[in-house]
Amino acid sequence: MNAWLEAPRSWLDSFGEIGRFGLRVAGNVYSGRVFKFFGESLRQAGILIFGSALVIWAFVFILGLQCGLQGAYFNRSIGAPSLAGLFSAYCDLREGLPYAFGYILSAKVGTGIVAEIGAMRISDEIDALEVMGIQPITFLCATRLLGAWIAIPFLYLVGIGLIYAASYLSVVQQVGDVSSGGYLLIFWMYQSPPDLIFSLIKGMVMATVIVLVGCYYGYTASGGPVGVGTATAKSMVFNIVAVHILGMLGTVIFWGANPRAPIGG
Amino acid sequence: MAQSGALSRGWGMVSGLFTEVGTMMILTVRTLISAVRSPHPYGEELVWQFLFVLRLSWFPLLVSTFALNLGAPGLQAAGILSLFGALDRLGGFFVVIAIRWIGPLVTAVVVAGVAGTAITADLGARKIREELDALQVLGVDPIKNLVVPRFLALMVVTALLDIFAIIMGLSAGIAAELLYHQPLGGFFATLFTNATITDLWSSVLMCTMFGAIVAVVCSYKGMSASGGAAGVGRAVNQAVVISLVAVFFFQFVVSSVILATNPELQAVR
Repeated sequence: MNAWLEAPRSWLDSFGEIGRFGLRVAGNVYSGRVFKFFGESLRQAGILIFGSALVIWAFVFILGLQCGLQGAYFNRSIGAPSLAGLFSAYCDLREGLPYAFGYILSAKVGTGIVAEIGAMRISDEIDALEVMGIQPITFLCATRLLGAWIAIPFLYLVGIGLIYAASYLSVVQQVGDVSSGGYLLIFWMYQSPPDLIFSLIKGMVMATVIVLVGCYYGYTASGGPVGVGTATAKSMVFNIVAVHILGMLGTVIFWGANPRAPIGG
Repeated sequence: MAQSGALSRGWGMVSGLFTEVGTMMILTVRTLISAVRSPHPYGEELVWQFLFVLRLSWFPLLVSTFALNLGAPGLQAAGILSLFGALDRLGGFFVVIAIRWIGPLVTAVVVAGVAGTAITADLGARKIREELDALQVLGVDPIKNLVVPRFLALMVVTALLDIFAIIMGLSAGIAAELLYHQPLGGFFATLFTNATITDLWSSVLMCTMFGAIVAVVCSYKGMSASGGAAGVGRAVNQAVVISLVAVFFFQFVVSSVILATNPELQAVR
């Protein structure tokens, strides 16, 4: 019986530790201590863009295609194919894009950070940094968090463009129940600039949590090369559950009480 | 000069991608052949892997599917349907979301993230410690004894977990209805008129394929890990990225085909 409860128990166990560590890193950014290493932050932002942008956008594009496809067929089955834009607008901006970002950031960026920082921990480079008088948390973790905050909003906005294009392709070109103008009329009617801001906030909160979790598991890795692999796997488990719970909370907070749709008075 | 450098780097990336995909295909075929051809020494390991994956994934899966289905389709759709006064239609909507799309998708994401990473970390550790070479010297085939049981176990577990994902997804739909103080009769009525058996078998079959993809990608990446301390971590990173992208792409293709070729899924009800 105990073995079956292992996953939830270890998850709860590490939750408090990650919270404390995350607050320490975020404190390093907010107090401005990270700006001593601003160049390193920019370098991390550059690595994020050059190393991960294409994968992130490809993933977002596929999810957009899927959003449009399912929406088009669902609207056909309720007898309102011209309203496919409603489904895509909600699916793309409000839910699909934050989740796509959450999944692929935890897979690409989160585990990447664990592998990198964990390798440094195993080969005692972090201790060496400390001996040299450089705060390792500031230099390794806070710079990555600041780098993510610099780069990810722009990746996210480009992702919005891509996911819209993908949904358009699959609804109008692939399924083809609705004309281009008819689709776009409904599509633009059912979203507004505040929705974009809310969606961006959702995505950024997920990205912040993912980077902090990655830094935590990398920073506390132990047990040789095998330990790095195990820590990477553990960070992925934590991130997946965190992404889903944050996504649900975001929906409840931003759209739970008011669906923000142009219907009725 | 700079341009030719960029060109050759681009060509290197493309040919590297093809090499990688080709090697994974070869691994898939070799796994399939050695799964069928006797002797079958992997029975015990298969059961062990099955329980291992189930033990790791059940909790993340239940939490994730419930949260995702309550937030994304549940509250968003219930919000807009309540404006129309048609909250009973949520049941028909959940057939699309929970059975056709999100159930298999979240199952695949959780299995790739939880079990796939564990498989890569495990096999990568054995590779780094040169245990795989030692096995081969002893005359034990690593594919038959290590990859095949994981492959079969993941296929079965993913299909099984898909059922649980659908159950949790529908419970999240019920929770959304209850949050809007609706009687549940309308939800179940539209759910059962819209659901078809095609939805269910295609969802489960899709999930079996997802399990196979995740198992092959993660075993391949684990068995080809190299490069010291950072190697295993990097292998896990690449394995989970490749499996997620492959699964999403595969799901798009499969659901396009299934939706387009089965007219009973598109009938107006």
